[in-house]
Amino acid sequence: MRGSALRRLYPVLGVIALVVLVEVVGRFELAGKSWPPLTEVLASLGQPGRLDLVLRSLGATAVAAAAGLVLGTVLATAGAALGLLVPVARPGMDRLAAILNAVPLIALAPLLIMTVGREGTPTVIAALGVGFVMFVALSSGLLAASRTHQDVFTVLGAARLTRLRRLQFPAALPYFLDGLALAGPTAVLGATIGEWFGAPSGLGVLIVSAMQNFQIPLLWSAALSATLLSLLAYVLFSRVQVLAARRFA
Amino acid sequence: MTAARSVLTGLLHYWPLALIVVLWDLWVVVNGYTETVAPRPWAVFADVGANVGEYVPDLAYTLVMSLAGLGLGTLAALIAGIGVWRSAAISGVVTPAALVLRSVPVTAMIPVIARLLGYNDSTVLAITAIICFFPVFVFTVSGLASASQSGRDLFAVLGASTATTLRRLHLLTAVPSIMVAIRITAPTAVLAAMLAEFLIGAHGLGHLFSTARSYMEMDRAWGTAVVATALSVLTFVGARALERAVVARVT
Repeated sequence: MRGSALRRLYPVLGVIALVVLVEVVGRFELAGKSWPPLTEVLASLGQPGRLDLVLRSLGATAVAAAAGLVLGTVLATAGAALGLLVPVARPGMDRLAAILNAVPLIALAPLLIMTVGREGTPTVIAALGVGFVMFVALSSGLLAASRTHQDVFTVLGAARLTRLRRLQFPAALPYFLDGLALAGPTAVLGATIGEWFGAPSGLGVLIVSAMQNFQIPLLWSAALSATLLSLLAYVLFSRVQVLAARRFA
Repeated sequence: MTAARSVLTGLLHYWPLALIVVLWDLWVVVNGYTETVAPRPWAVFADVGANVGEYVPDLAYTLVMSLAGLGLGTLAALIAGIGVWRSAAISGVVTPAALVLRSVPVTAMIPVIARLLGYNDSTVLAITAIICFFPVFVFTVSGLASASQSGRDLFAVLGASTATTLRRLHLLTAVPSIMVAIRITAPTAVLAAMLAEFLIGAHGLGHLFSTARSYMEMDRAWGTAVVATALSVLTFVGARALERAVVARVT
């Protein structure tokens, strides 16, 4: 009993140790002036307008990431369903997903800025990243229905669409939620890459401009906000997944 | 007959490549983009084909940076993973911290490391290595812990030393997880190297890309994007082949 309580304490200790380490390295300037103590980063948010700026950027990134998450998920679901309804398209779809995954998102950002525009780019890049993760998760999920269930549907002469709706989509739900837990942080990454190249607002813009102008506390505030957003997305979807598993198991 | 069949299989597997090129061309033509906004694919392929010599040095540089970064990051992660493996307490404390660091978006980590280490080529390597470190570390720790209880009992009963148990039992069971980590991380290494080159580097595809963009050489910029994509796909395919070969060898 005491052992398990202790084990539950480890992660908390780990995170506390990380925070203390970051603070100590900054306090004694062990890594130079570009590593400020955490307390100083937090204090810098008290400057007039600073908290406002960070929160506004955080909001812009969160909105772009969320829109990309929805868009990418919808496209991936359509793609994976198409692969089932039209089996001949399937090998090609897998290749397409692998290629889309491998496209270095940095290569697309500036090109999309010229064409999709500054506002839309973060969302589109987030959607691309999310799309691949969700496609892979759903492709394996849609095939996860048990052989016996498949046979029942075959014997009863179910149409492909009915089979998809009544059997394969429900069977894919756990995979779908697993995919979302991975796709959440991917959406944040995609949105910030899009912003690096000159979106009107967002954490990505703030990070790059703070880096170039040597505004160290601002750089760290923005980087920490992006990390928090990414962690939040992960924790949120992991919780949903655990709850759903409990509901359906 | 077999030739016809292999053409058909090729078509079945690779139609998306053709589709992407056609859609790209249509998109440019329908929207009426000029050369300075988005070139047509043919112009881009022509630029790559005619100036292979311009691309190769930067391509090689990015490839070396990605692979070296992946190698260094993996090595460090293995050492650290084995270091925390001995003690449940240490791994219980360190792993969540590594998970938190793993969720730092690359886009947030690169500028911070660039400021810390200075703007030069060794920073590009360091960034790639650090970014590869965290996923491999997390997978190594869980892989080392996944050895079966009966296996551990056997080694304990036979009085095997810790080093032997580590080498013959835990490392072997960890190999598949480590290889999964390398496969997942390989395209990320290319992305990280390119992002770092774009921001601070003086060589590499990321740098070529940023120069082409600032001189408005759109054929070159899009050509770099195509070459980078090919590099990234090849890295992924290579890592997957390596994973299959290694896992087949140990299991």
